[in-house]
Amino acid sequence: MRAVRALVRKDLLLELRGREVVPAMVVFVLAAFVLFRFALGGDRLGGGVRAATGMLWVAVVFTAILGLARAFAVEREHRIWDGLLASPIDRSAIWAAKAVSTFAFLVVMQAVALPLFWLFFLQQADGPSFAVLIAALLAADVGIAALGALLAGLASAGQAREVLLPVLFLPFAVPLVLVGVQVSIGTIPPQTADFGTVRELGFLALYATIFALLGWALFEYVVED
Amino acid sequence: MAVVLAATLMPLAVAMIFFYVPTDVDQGYSQRIFYFHVPIALTTYTLFAWGALNAARFLWTRDMRLDLKSYVPMHLGVMFGCLTLVTGSLWAHISWGVWWYWGSTELTTFLIIFLFYCAYFMLRFSVEPGEKRATFSAVYALLGVGLIPISVIAVHTAQDIIHPITFSRNGANMDGSMFATFLVSLAALLSLAVAMYCIEMRGKRIDDRLKQLRRLAEASS
Repeated sequence: MRAVRALVRKDLLLELRGREVVPAMVVFVLAAFVLFRFALGGDRLGGGVRAATGMLWVAVVFTAILGLARAFAVEREHRIWDGLLASPIDRSAIWAAKAVSTFAFLVVMQAVALPLFWLFFLQQADGPSFAVLIAALLAADVGIAALGALLAGLASAGQAREVLLPVLFLPFAVPLVLVGVQVSIGTIPPQTADFGTVRELGFLALYATIFALLGWALFEYVVED
Repeated sequence: MAVVLAATLMPLAVAMIFFYVPTDVDQGYSQRIFYFHVPIALTTYTLFAWGALNAARFLWTRDMRLDLKSYVPMHLGVMFGCLTLVTGSLWAHISWGVWWYWGSTELTTFLIIFLFYCAYFMLRFSVEPGEKRATFSAVYALLGVGLIPISVIAVHTAQDIIHPITFSRNGANMDGSMFATFLVSLAALLSLAVAMYCIEMRGKRIDDRLKQLRRLAEASS
């Protein structure tokens, strides 16, 4: 636990001082929203709020991939790996720390993205319930961070790591987007949150749990040697 | 052995599908594609389970032979997966008049798993051959074990169930001759997969041996 806390602190401090990942994610998600807004028709929103909600989830997944691409960049470039592997800590602590810092980055990005989403897409119409949307995004963030920390570790050893990570990640993002969109559009008025919403949020929690367990169990094989 | 079995069962299955089994009342003659589509899909899942099992065994024992035994089923799984998508698409065209039907839970689940298979190969071919590649492939294969149930649940949570239900809780939803044809077809495709597995494994082993010999020859000259 202490090791995880120290490693998370290192990641957050590096980000606060270097500002490498989060600003890029925020600018990326903003640009994605602008693109999607024009893609759906500049003046009148084609496809309505339902289409916009789908775009939100796609933008979140792509932005997460952008952030994850830099997840182990510092470790790799400044040869921190050797130090980490030589230190007497559990390998899964490295994974847990990276998942926690990734989760933090995602939450910060979404704190900026959600108001922008409202501004761009929802001003003139009834949008999905924000409470449900935030709950769904937080649950999805845990899953993305847990799985992403493992996949970033896998991808960072490949030859074409920038290309590899999205390819490895996207098949796993499909179920997440599928249910994420479903839970969000299920609360657009006149519909309200009901049993289906609870079941879909439960699915997102299950997703997070399964990939957290797999990440925790498998990460030690990714970092050996 | 498996080759002989496959060579016997495949013609038998084809003969039963086209000449023995009665024509479906609702869907007509073209429903016969079912006897290819579903067994091929089940074979793909079996190959994947086999590959993942050997991947887990590899991580446990570190025996490099298991890496090959995990990779070859995955490789065959991609071929059978392609066939599943093609036959599924044909069936969708016949039944629903479209080449791809997004309302079908099976087709969409399968598509996610197929994407996963493709990504597995991207990972495998971007890492230098050796123990590292074997480990990374095994880790990703095992992640797929989490992805399959998740995809099934996700697709069911998000969509209506429209695909024809083959098996209900009360057993197979087919009469005797249909079920017999289905079983023979399944046995034929599974034995075909085993036969292909044996042939590919032999080829890979010969490749490895050749590489070793070449290395030895270079070292001595």
